[in-house]
Amino acid sequence: MERKNKTIALFIKLIFWALLVAFFIWAFSNNMFSTIWEQPDTFLRLLGEHITIVLLSGAAAVLIAVPLGIFVTRPKFRKSEWLIVGIANLGQTIPSLAVLALAMGFLGIGISAAVVALFVYSLLPILQNTIAGIDSVDDNMIDAAKGMGLTNAQILWKIELPNALTSIIAGVRTALVINIGTAALAYLVGAGGLGVWIFTGIRLFDNAFLMSGAVPVTLLAILIDYLFKWLQFALVPKGLRLARKAQNA
Amino acid sequence: MIHFNDVTKIYNGNVKAIEDMNFTVEKGELVIMLGPSGCGKTTLLRMVNQLESITDGDIMLNGKSVRHSNKIEMRRNIGYVIQSNGLFPNMNIEDNAMIVPNLLGWDRKKMRDRFNTLMELVGLNPDEYRKRYPHELSGGQQQRVGVARALAADPPVMLMDEPFGALDPIIRTHLQEEFLQIQKELKKTILFVSHDIDEAVKMADKIALLKGGKMMQYAEPARMLNKPANSFVAEFVGQDRVLKSMSLYTVKDLANALTLKPVLESPDSQNINENLSLRVAISKILNQEADQLIVENDNGTRKGSITLDLIEQFLHREIKESV
Repeated sequence: MERKNKTIALFIKLIFWALLVAFFIWAFSNNMFSTIWEQPDTFLRLLGEHITIVLLSGAAAVLIAVPLGIFVTRPKFRKSEWLIVGIANLGQTIPSLAVLALAMGFLGIGISAAVVALFVYSLLPILQNTIAGIDSVDDNMIDAAKGMGLTNAQILWKIELPNALTSIIAGVRTALVINIGTAALAYLVGAGGLGVWIFTGIRLFDNAFLMSGAVPVTLLAILIDYLFKWLQFALVPKGLRLARKAQNA
Repeated sequence: MIHFNDVTKIYNGNVKAIEDMNFTVEKGELVIMLGPSGCGKTTLLRMVNQLESITDGDIMLNGKSVRHSNKIEMRRNIGYVIQSNGLFPNMNIEDNAMIVPNLLGWDRKKMRDRFNTLMELVGLNPDEYRKRYPHELSGGQQQRVGVARALAADPPVMLMDEPFGALDPIIRTHLQEEFLQIQKELKKTILFVSHDIDEAVKMADKIALLKGGKMMQYAEPARMLNKPANSFVAEFVGQDRVLKSMSLYTVKDLANALTLKPVLESPDSQNINENLSLRVAISKILNQEADQLIVENDNGTRKGSITLDLIEQFLHREIKESV
């Protein structure tokens, strides 16, 4: 059973990579990325804008959502969890385009509207994963830690956060990968980014514009995804990594 | 050392979990709190290190009120072992065991030495386990590390909440015996929660039997078995309490109290070491393995023999005496 599943997974991976290679051969032979070669300066500017929007909004979301997640998991403030998660949920429920439009309404045209909109959009996955990660820490462990005389701060830093880290990083990863896609809409509020070429391509029926915008966005998302997998490997304590591996084996 | 003074715990304004608890755990004693689930034994234990608050009354620890002590500082001076060991999966075994010394700011050399000593004490090879992680250890090994961790800063008092409860019977027996050896050497003042009467009889200096938050009887195991204070105690310790009490005596105790019978050479005899318990002796006789047991000391010298009558005589004497 195990082996069969592995074979199927490998097969699907092979098909995926074959399709990808085929796509790139087709795209290159049809000069689909010509816009990038013809306007390298514009490309770099748009890419820079795109990354700036994603990183600024992502960093702000991490700085707000992780402490917020820690806050609502403190026993004293547990009662505020529904309120805070509810608000974050609201940000996620409203369609991204509407969040952008709302942000533009307040902040006008430009990069700040896009950053704020994506920030709102990233809060929930990071917040929820922080809460879930901290909640998943075994109560017995906390009890033992308390009984041995660790202070609440020591329990947070030595026990809760290290054990919740896998989940928190996964939340940030999800948020950023979604943001890279959503940031293509930033063009609509005049914040630039690779969305400029994508939308131009759509309007002009110009595949070269479309592909030169869309493919880098996709690659960026994959890149971030891998980067965070590596980050997870580097940051999560070795014992937890090994335990997870042993559990899955 | 631990003195319970009219200790009362009330939940939600009206549910009495513990009522007017009064008893003392003397220095160097191992006291087991026993009782059916919900009797308040764990609550009482957790009130000592203030994981549970005290509604009324007080617990004096070495003459100091736990209600008015600095919780953090006090807990670092109490070893705490729980059933599900509570080892931290993000730390290796050495960091787990040395967490309290680490908090107390010991230097590396001292911690390393202490780790080596403790691991030897609980029967694990320090160098083999130092860098390993909790999930790589068996349940029994994890609980040994749990005990080592509680002993790390050499606290005078230990609280143990069913420390061997989650282990399989063979490993449990092993760990109980090993722990008794450790206790013989270290003489800690220990408050221990259990639901297992056999464990209590085997390990405790005194047993505190609780029911519904009240003390039913606080006595040495032999006394509790031979002279239960009320019908609840009698029922809890079981109809076979006489048999249980026999594990409290060794063959040697009998030999010292009564004159052994002469050794008769017959095929229906077997040898028994004088340090084994009377429970083993009577099982051997009742198992039809032998009619008489020849008592030997560690050097193999025969000291005489025991039969069923002699055991009966001995019990008669002991039960009468403890009245």
